[in-house]
Amino acid sequence: MTVSVRGLTKRYGPTLALDDVDLDVAAGEVHALLGHNGAGKSTVIKCLGGGTAPSAGSITIGGTTHDALDPRSSIAAGIAVIYQHLSLIDRLDVTENLHLGQETTTAGVFLRRADQRARAVRLLERVGLDVSPGTPVRQLTIGQRQLVEIAKALSRDARLLVLDEPSAALSPVESRRLADLVRLLKADGIAVLYVTHLLNEVVELADRTTVMRDGRVVWSQPMAGVSKTDLVTAVSGRAHGAAVAPRPVDPDTPPALAIEHLRAPGLHDVSLVVRPGEIVGLYGLVGSGRSRLLETLFGRRPATSGTVAVDGRPVRVRRPDDALRAGLALVPGDRLRQGLFGSLSSGENTVLRVMSLTARAGWRRPRAEQEVFRSTAAAFGLRPADPAVPVSRLSGGNQQKVLIARWVNDRAGTRVLLLDDPTQGVDVGARAEIYDVLRQVAADQGLAVLFASNDPDEVVALAHRCLVMRQGRVVDDLDMRDTDEEQLLDLIHSELEPS
Amino acid sequence: MTTAPPPTVDGADRRPPSTGHAAAAPSPVAAAAGWLVQNPLLVLLVVMVAGVQLATGAQLGWGNLRGVFLDAAVIAIVAAPVAMLVIAGYIDLSVGSTLALGGVVAGKVAQSGGSPLVAVGAALLAGAAVGVVNAVLATVFGLSSFIVTLGMLTAVRGVAQLVSPLPLSNFGEAFGFLGIGNIAGIPLPALLAVAVLLTAGVFLTRTPAGRHLYAIGVNREAAYLSGVDTRRIPFLLFVTSGAAAGLAGAITVARLNSAPAGQLGGGFELAVITAVLLGGVALTGGEGSMVDVLVGVLFMGLLRNGLTLLGVTTFWQNVASGLALVAAIAIAAATHVVRGKMRAREAHRLDDAAPTG
Repeated sequence: MTVSVRGLTKRYGPTLALDDVDLDVAAGEVHALLGHNGAGKSTVIKCLGGGTAPSAGSITIGGTTHDALDPRSSIAAGIAVIYQHLSLIDRLDVTENLHLGQETTTAGVFLRRADQRARAVRLLERVGLDVSPGTPVRQLTIGQRQLVEIAKALSRDARLLVLDEPSAALSPVESRRLADLVRLLKADGIAVLYVTHLLNEVVELADRTTVMRDGRVVWSQPMAGVSKTDLVTAVSGRAHGAAVAPRPVDPDTPPALAIEHLRAPGLHDVSLVVRPGEIVGLYGLVGSGRSRLLETLFGRRPATSGTVAVDGRPVRVRRPDDALRAGLALVPGDRLRQGLFGSLSSGENTVLRVMSLTARAGWRRPRAEQEVFRSTAAAFGLRPADPAVPVSRLSGGNQQKVLIARWVNDRAGTRVLLLDDPTQGVDVGARAEIYDVLRQVAADQGLAVLFASNDPDEVVALAHRCLVMRQGRVVDDLDMRDTDEEQLLDLIHSELEPS
Repeated sequence: MTTAPPPTVDGADRRPPSTGHAAAAPSPVAAAAGWLVQNPLLVLLVVMVAGVQLATGAQLGWGNLRGVFLDAAVIAIVAAPVAMLVIAGYIDLSVGSTLALGGVVAGKVAQSGGSPLVAVGAALLAGAAVGVVNAVLATVFGLSSFIVTLGMLTAVRGVAQLVSPLPLSNFGEAFGFLGIGNIAGIPLPALLAVAVLLTAGVFLTRTPAGRHLYAIGVNREAAYLSGVDTRRIPFLLFVTSGAAAGLAGAITVARLNSAPAGQLGGGFELAVITAVLLGGVALTGGEGSMVDVLVGVLFMGLLRNGLTLLGVTTFWQNVASGLALVAAIAIAAATHVVRGKMRAREAHRLDDAAPTG
């Protein structure tokens, strides 16, 4: 059985997330899907899993052609998607999770618990997971939960297994175990679509690789005779030649942000400086501590020891409010959950904080608020530049501009801008605009910018300097004038090599 | 950058400033239709009053309206702070028993010869004390306000009965003025209600703290990460809501000229919540205004009054009131869908009009 995707196209309003994508996964084949954030990988997955309907194109599975799938018909067609955010029910045990929605019953009412348990044992054995079927899922590690998800897919007779960056949250040992399992499933004749941005995994596992960029398939070949360098070239498309270099920074300027010996749960003795006008990237994998460092600086997590100074003044941050008063502001990684007030207007979202600063004697001053919105909307190219539109209606890129404008305007007094994954879920065109905005606020207003990313392209395009993080430590400090994307990719891969 | 006419954050000018040429403002008809879609209950209210008036010719007489306002005032005084709590994502169910406690305390003071002002002050304090307990449990300890205030609903009823095991009555004319007195022909409780609604409305729209309530209700995590104090204002609102219920108790007792601790304010909390939700304040938080509350309170009062005028019996009135709530929420959900579509079309229009690249 082969899964064929033909001419898959997906529009979100004016943005084109997928543009005429073709993809074939044969039974007993591991097909790797590569590409940076926003390349369109996750939209392909969503179309396969029935999370969204494509605007055009078709998906053919075992001879049946579908124009669109919903979650139910996707499962019925034999597709199982293992998302990064696993969809198990924490409170239920492994057996119950495995049988959720397809319980075996007597007379349609009574659970046949012994049968279910026996079946669970067989499934767990097949995926090589050594836990009791009665274990509550919340007691399992991420890696174990992933195996339970795969077992669940097998129990539904999945013919196509889609794995969405499966190793992102795994330890090296767990990753190797997963790779073994993928090979086993392949031998059983299951088609595997393996979505990742780690080249080593691709070289190790894939029979065939497709590379996506900007919503299009740019490269698709069998892996025989393909080297890692070929993949790097295909993924990056040598696009960073087009990036505008950030304005140089005088290395003798006193730092705007100085961190010394910062320790916190998951952070070990981090010291770094960022100068006014300088853009520094924190590069590392999920769990390396890059987001944790930003959240600790911003007071969302407590620090155990160490000092933080803004413009030479030591600051003590216990809550986000303290950080903001000291001139440290964070644009969080999860825009919808941690940043935006979805049903409120973009105007209110922008002035939410400065509202208190522009107010006189406790009364709002609408004119001052309007001025803040107007000037930032113009400076950052916000579209639509209408303060009354609910912010949930804006595109990802424009939502991000609103969040940056919340902290960077003439009233906020921000000195250091922290950003966690600044272009997550932002399409390519808007990404370049966000980079421009960040370069502009760094150069014109002398802001220190510190951003976390796992996208080497982004670090190359945006940063003056790159700090590589691993296991809660800063392990490298690279001047981006003499570092390119390939070196960064190599760094992150050498770290994953089994040792 | 480009010179553009200053847009208003309040949305009075919905023209996209940077485009000017392509996008025209929505026509007045569309704007009016949009406004009505956003206030479906107001339309229903007008239709209902017109219908009852045509059928009976009695609803819009001042004598009748005066009674309606007197009933609605007590609900409105409490509905205002409760609505603000709901906007911030909390709820206060304890107001019925707090009303009883406030009433009993005020009655005791008045009966023992205290001046009406002292009696009202004591009722406010008793209510505020209940509010402090709610506030500490719900905002400091972070317990579910639904459960906390549900528990307090029962507990405070008991306290009220302990304070006054036997029904009190005959508080004197001076105290009675609070319940039935007029100033310039308008009932004093109605004036108090107007003052409370106005103050709350100004607070909600004209102060940063008021706007922050919406932010807290929409996304508490994001509000915290934006440096908003997510506890202080809800804390004060719980205290205010308690005090308001105490005041409502004093007014009720003054009007009845008796204070039966067991019966005072029975089911009052449901009337308040019903009015708040009817008006269009979303139970999920982040949505609603004092206009909504006023419309909700008036709708409830005028519906009951209309049914009475039409000769509907009490039992049927209850059936009708309950169904009215369900119907209003169904209508609100339907208009929400329509509103979402209108917004999407609007955003699309602005997007197409905006220069690209």
